Amino acid sequence: MKQPGRLSLNTWLVPLGWLGLLLVLAATMPYLESLFRVIEPDMREVIYRRAGFFTLLAQHVMVVAIASLLAVILGVGAAIAVTRPAGRDFLPLVSQLASIGQTFPPVAVLALAVPALGFGTLPIIVALLLYGLLPIVRNTLAAIDDIDPGLRESALGMGMTAGQVLRQVELPLAAPVILAGIRTSVTINIATAALGATIGASNLGDPIIAGIVNSNTAYIVQGALLIGLLALTVDSAFERLASAPST
Amino acid sequence: MIELFGVSKHFANETAVDGISLQIKRGELCVLVGTSGCGKSTTLRMINRLIEHDAGEIHLDGQPVRSFNEVALRRRIGYVIQSTGLFPHWTVARNIGLVPRLLKWPKAQISERVEALMQLLGLPLAEFADKYPHQLSGGQAQRVGVARALAADPDILLMDEPFAALDPLTRQGLQREMIELHARLNKTIVFVTHDMDEALTLADRLVVMDQGRIVQQGTPVELLREPATPFVESLLGGLDRGLKEAALIQVKERMLPFGPRLLASERIAETAPLSQALSVMLWHQVERLTVVDAEDIPVGELSLRRLLGVTAA
Repeated sequence: MKQPGRLSLNTWLVPLGWLGLLLVLAATMPYLESLFRVIEPDMREVIYRRAGFFTLLAQHVMVVAIASLLAVILGVGAAIAVTRPAGRDFLPLVSQLASIGQTFPPVAVLALAVPALGFGTLPIIVALLLYGLLPIVRNTLAAIDDIDPGLRESALGMGMTAGQVLRQVELPLAAPVILAGIRTSVTINIATAALGATIGASNLGDPIIAGIVNSNTAYIVQGALLIGLLALTVDSAFERLASAPST
Repeated sequence: MIELFGVSKHFANETAVDGISLQIKRGELCVLVGTSGCGKSTTLRMINRLIEHDAGEIHLDGQPVRSFNEVALRRRIGYVIQSTGLFPHWTVARNIGLVPRLLKWPKAQISERVEALMQLLGLPLAEFADKYPHQLSGGQAQRVGVARALAADPDILLMDEPFAALDPLTRQGLQREMIELHARLNKTIVFVTHDMDEALTLADRLVVMDQGRIVQQGTPVELLREPATPFVESLLGGLDRGLKEAALIQVKERMLPFGPRLLASERIAETAPLSQALSVMLWHQVERLTVVDAEDIPVGELSLRRLLGVTAA
């Protein structure tokens, strides 16, 4: 058996390192004025100050977390449901719906969601949820479909209940591929969430949008840096999770 | 005892099994044999209700299988399939302990049982217990599959072409082990295969199926001697039937217990099949073999006439 102690700590160091960098940058951004002055020497203001970077970061994380959590519950749940004997009829429908969700540009979803849900955080959560469903549904379907039918047959033949087959055989075997789908979905959503700033959901997209509107590259860089670091943190954390030995 | 009374199964508009009746006695090794699509696997799976029958009745020790809870029923019946169905994310020991764990045996009893089974199947505990299925050869994996099926000590074992994917040498080895296991454990075994040689080797009783029906059933020798239809005859190998029958008879059944005669130049084991004795005669161009026991001590003599069964002399 592998020695878990030092090895796992070492690999967790990567996401922790990114996280540290992200937090340090969010905290020290206001003091880096001279640095951003280099990018925009003529602007009156080069540090985004309409809201604290920590507040923006927290809101960004919250929006992505809620949308992703819902996408995981809905996506994995739907994929499991349509691979059960009772739900088989809906399999083509669900996989098609998920594909359509991905072809919709998130901006279009926002444009459609605003009249229905108003401005603010809710429409961006809906947009991210829809957009993040496909990788999760697709990977879960593929992972479950990929399981050797002989395993299911022998599991049932040995007297496992349908629930036991799902929990003890199908899900553990499908887990790495499902996790990869969640990783794709969350990483995309971290970037896409910035669009929320256009409809009044304040998050790390705010400095970017403000920067575009005011032609202030310094703002854009500040928002983009933090979003990039957040994406790296989360992505490397998923990588660590994926390499963890699964029982 | 397993009894089928007029059992049928239809898929969509195809008839897979067409009103078959069959009795499998306690402790019998019954082989269902036939070409693919003849309904033999369907028949097997109807016994443990992986497939529900449409018509007729299937009884287990006199009670209809439908009267049991299907999960409880399957936990009492061992099941072995061609692809082994071993869980790739579980170790060998955990795989074998599956059904006892489902039945909530105490931990100590499970590990004791797993140990005993690994020993029975010739899988040294130290070497194999913590291995994963992908680290096993085909033959080892199928041994684990058989051990898993035997774990909760079921009275009945259902085996669906368990050795079909193995190379001929491994297959023959496992067939021999199956015969020994069956003699030792006295389980009722229903064994499905498309391989007639395998069927003849293993079967107490052979059931030949074709297009969802039973064409003929009987002991291997009965079938070889009197195939009911040209289909059974061709399945049995047509003109090769003689050799197949000779493969089922041991030398000691035909030999002349040792008399005061000169030793022949070639020897044959008393447990060897007649077909092998014939092969030795053909190869060395001799008509007489000295029969020896396991310790290589001469115990008798086999002449060509005796081998052929011309026993008048």
